[in-house]
Amino acid sequence: MTAPLPVAPPAEVRRAARRDIARERGTFVVMMLLNVLAAGVGLAGPWLLGVIVDTVKASPHAVLGTVDRLGATIVAVTIAHLVLSRYALYVGARFGERTAARVRERFLERSLALPARVAERSDLGDLLARGTTDINSVAGTLSSAAPTVLINGVQALLLIAAVLIIDPLLGVCGLGCLAVITAVLRWYLRRARPAYLALGAASSVVAEVLSTTAGGARTIEALGLQRLRAEATERAIAASRGAQLHALSLRTVLYPTLDISYTLPLVGVLILGAVLYAHGLTTLGTVIAAALYLRQLASPIDNIMIWIEQLQIAGASYARVEGLATVPTEQPHSTAEPTGDRIEVTGAHYSYGHGDVLRGIDLSVRAGERLAIVGPSGAGKSTLGRLLAGVDGPHTGTVTVGRVPIGHLAPDRLRRQVVLVTQEHHVFHDSLRDNLRLAHPGATDAQLRAALATVGARWADELPDGLDTVIGGAHQLGGAEAQQVALARVILADPHTVILDEATALLDATTARGTERALAAVLDGRTVIAIAHRLQTAHDADRVVVMDAGLITELGRHEDLIALGGTYARLWRSWHDGGR
Amino acid sequence: MVDAFEPPGPAATKSPLRYLWWLTVSQKRRTITGAVLGSSWMVGLTIPPCLLSRAIDEGLRAHDTVALLGWVAALFAVGVVNAGLAISRHRTMTKVRLDAAFRTTRAVVRHSTILGATLPRRVTAGEVVTIGMADVQTMARSLTATGPGVGAVVAYAVVAMLLLSISPLLATIILVGVPLLAIAIGPLLSRIQRIGGSYREQQGALTARLVDIVTGLRVLGGLGGKDTYLARYRTQSQALRATGYRVGAMTSWLDSLGTGLPALFLAVVTWVAARLAAEGSISIGELVAVYGYVAMLVVPVASFIESGSDLARAVVSARRVTRFLRMTPDQADGPGSVDAPPPGCALFDPASGIEVRPGVLTAIAGSRLADSVALIDRLGGFCDSGATWGGVPLSGIVLGQLRERVLVADNDAELFAGTVRETVAGRVDARDAAVWAAVHAAVADDIVEALPAGLDSVVLSHGGNLSGGQRQRLRLARAICAAPEILLAVEPTSAVDAHTEALLVARLRTARAGRTTVVTTTSPLILDQADAVIYLVDGRQVATGRHRYLMRAEPGYRALVSREVEVEVEAR
Repeated sequence: MTAPLPVAPPAEVRRAARRDIARERGTFVVMMLLNVLAAGVGLAGPWLLGVIVDTVKASPHAVLGTVDRLGATIVAVTIAHLVLSRYALYVGARFGERTAARVRERFLERSLALPARVAERSDLGDLLARGTTDINSVAGTLSSAAPTVLINGVQALLLIAAVLIIDPLLGVCGLGCLAVITAVLRWYLRRARPAYLALGAASSVVAEVLSTTAGGARTIEALGLQRLRAEATERAIAASRGAQLHALSLRTVLYPTLDISYTLPLVGVLILGAVLYAHGLTTLGTVIAAALYLRQLASPIDNIMIWIEQLQIAGASYARVEGLATVPTEQPHSTAEPTGDRIEVTGAHYSYGHGDVLRGIDLSVRAGERLAIVGPSGAGKSTLGRLLAGVDGPHTGTVTVGRVPIGHLAPDRLRRQVVLVTQEHHVFHDSLRDNLRLAHPGATDAQLRAALATVGARWADELPDGLDTVIGGAHQLGGAEAQQVALARVILADPHTVILDEATALLDATTARGTERALAAVLDGRTVIAIAHRLQTAHDADRVVVMDAGLITELGRHEDLIALGGTYARLWRSWHDGGR
Repeated sequence: MVDAFEPPGPAATKSPLRYLWWLTVSQKRRTITGAVLGSSWMVGLTIPPCLLSRAIDEGLRAHDTVALLGWVAALFAVGVVNAGLAISRHRTMTKVRLDAAFRTTRAVVRHSTILGATLPRRVTAGEVVTIGMADVQTMARSLTATGPGVGAVVAYAVVAMLLLSISPLLATIILVGVPLLAIAIGPLLSRIQRIGGSYREQQGALTARLVDIVTGLRVLGGLGGKDTYLARYRTQSQALRATGYRVGAMTSWLDSLGTGLPALFLAVVTWVAARLAAEGSISIGELVAVYGYVAMLVVPVASFIESGSDLARAVVSARRVTRFLRMTPDQADGPGSVDAPPPGCALFDPASGIEVRPGVLTAIAGSRLADSVALIDRLGGFCDSGATWGGVPLSGIVLGQLRERVLVADNDAELFAGTVRETVAGRVDARDAAVWAAVHAAVADDIVEALPAGLDSVVLSHGGNLSGGQRQRLRLARAICAAPEILLAVEPTSAVDAHTEALLVARLRTARAGRTTVVTTTSPLILDQADAVIYLVDGRQVATGRHRYLMRAEPGYRALVSREVEVEVEAR
């Protein structure tokens, strides 16, 4: 039933990333400059040590003043390095924060702009995962990992440049020995991503087992499922442990290779340095400085290693977040004004991909009538409701309101015509007033209270802060109460046609009937289409549609259908006999 | 995992530290291996500077190629050995952490099942997940202290000894300076944690807002309000950015001080050592060695500080875990518990005056759902009440026997992830035929047949891949399959359409023939088929009899289950 949301292809991701950087061009340049400066100053330490060695060696006992000057320079340079890296990190963090805010706001904007048909059929969990895990991974990486990787990357590059400058021959020798790192890193990164994705999936299974066990603790006690839960836990733990150990086996190759790789250039430089020094081609200080630079290279490379996986993960997250940009937007809205409120369905077919759910529906809904749709589960009732509400369009055939295809109406015009209320309603973590006013921004408190009274939401009067009470947190609403909020919104929106898809199923029988009647009274003169499994609703309606296997099998007034003696009549009789 | 799981005893859950200690001693051998490897590795890090200084002094400066090659070879060998030690230590410590994490996860899951119906009264599922995931990770990480933490202290001592052989002055500077450095940096790092806290909180709120809006996408699409919510999200997002700036201003200082202060210390030591070299008290090779030693000290200092703050956080986490593990279920067998009565006894609830006759289908029609739910809770022995079974107070019956023979099927009972077969079979070792029979009785055949792999198809947790009505029928199938002597079901058909409901009640009667079944409902389709109907008003039985009799004799009852407005108004 649900369709996966797209992920942005690599080219699209690069374009989006370039756009995000381009918007911060100035900051980006300053950030790079500070990083280069900080890393450059950081190089002075070993070089100064080399100078000290040469000075002491050249004229021992007579250079205390020079040594002091050099020593003080080392201290000063270290302080400068500290301050410069701070500013490099700070500018980087600000850059990250701004970009993260832009990415997440853009994401919500795009989510809200998703065409109703796509939003309806998308996996909500996937969209939520992108909005939470992925957004936070991108934001976290932008504000902390990216600046750190940047400063370490620049430092590593400058170290390499420094060795090459003080002695090109020694530099080439040292860097040649580092080539191993590139090879092992490529090997590792190819495998690390799937391994860490599997790791994340395995630990969400553990979390899922935990949360359902805790959430269903009463069920476990009632049904004696303790042993089954223990087994499920063991399975989840075994999978998680397996994933952890697999990732560990990859690190078992990477870490020692890196460690040994850091020693190799040192060995190379010492041996080559000895030869050059013996022939007077270099100084002792140069060899020592080169050796120390190469030793120092380990630290930035290690720091990059720590973050490189997170960078990869964030890259994947960014692609998922940007994927929303590739969803085709709404088809052009029709400007035609509906003439009248009549809804016509002609030859409508609909399929979720395997077999038609609707197999040729013809239905004309008169303005102001109360229509009930009944039928067994899977008959296509809800799908028809969605087509009537313009949430989705039929694959063949048409659904029109006042002769205009209903799916072509812009959302704000559509909702003045038709509103669909389902069992899946949502109450925002907001004041009760805001929750209601979204359907009618200009509504007065009196109107809001009247709407609540109509749907029988007496609990609203008992809220501590009245309409200002924030729902959620301390004031959770039960399913029935949330349903009443949803119905009150419909009254406020005041469309000419309301489609109720099991909209009162969560209310207990007495309240449901009261609410449906009250709603009918308020919506008097409006068209009400009720999809229901309670037969009372059908009895109260002007006409009843009986659906089975994607077709309308019976259609007419309650009395006529009883007289017809078909499915509806049989069902009614069993109900009726039971009810008498 | 290979290790057998022994749940923590009462001694281990007495205090957070005892719990952490229990996690450590539960894997004694591995922890000791970790400590030995951690110490050897850290000490190993001190050797390369020493070898480098010899290579410079005896090889390079002395133009002695043989000596140089010897020392360089030694340097490389030590590098290889250290790499081996490092990865062995990492592997051992990873396993130590995994063991601790899984041990606690198991304990938390096991204790959740022990608490049973008591759990939701004490903690939310979210809190249990926090304990079982986040706190477990924090505690596991703190066990790193047993390996590299111990190693850090050893390495620090070894470096001090080495420096003592070079220069007593330098050794003194290091001995005094390093602890001062640790004291200076430690609070900086914990500061980062604290500032980050408020940022994370705000970020959590923003994420919650986004989830709220995205979950309500259909409402916003159908009724409007998108612009308002987008604007609000933007405002909140910009506020987070502003906090992010403040956090960045602080953490960038702390980060650079964290690495900068040890560098500064290194600079000062180098200066002093350079003077000593210029005075001729130490050789040039020794100067380079001092530089190497002190640069290397950054590793143990960092790991020492990290272990400290890890432990502090782990204690907070362990407190939450032990508090949870110390909770006891409200209902438990005591010394006075008695056996359940023989089969065929009636349940009696004095609070409502209801008696459930054995062997028949009883329907309870109540005007308020809450009353019916509370009644089923009492009859099923899920709370302390005066309810009896064959004259024996339910609260005094051995809990295992009670749950085995009396099954309460909640309307919102949890569906766990698993195959359809596992889901329906539940505690019983049911054969496919029995599973299919239960599925058929609950009119759930079409659900199973529509799934790709029949009984082997996967049901997602909370029945996420099923509709409300499908979930309800699967729950009922599970309860039928358990075949308890007494089945108490709350509104088992509330989300099922009339066609299905009529079929379901007939099949339920057949499947439960000869056994006691109680359902709460107001549907005439079920009430008409029940052997006995009890009419409940304000939680009390006001009338009982067959449905048709009550329809004639009780106007209030008629109003409750029929569709007539007039009578309904009258009854109020």
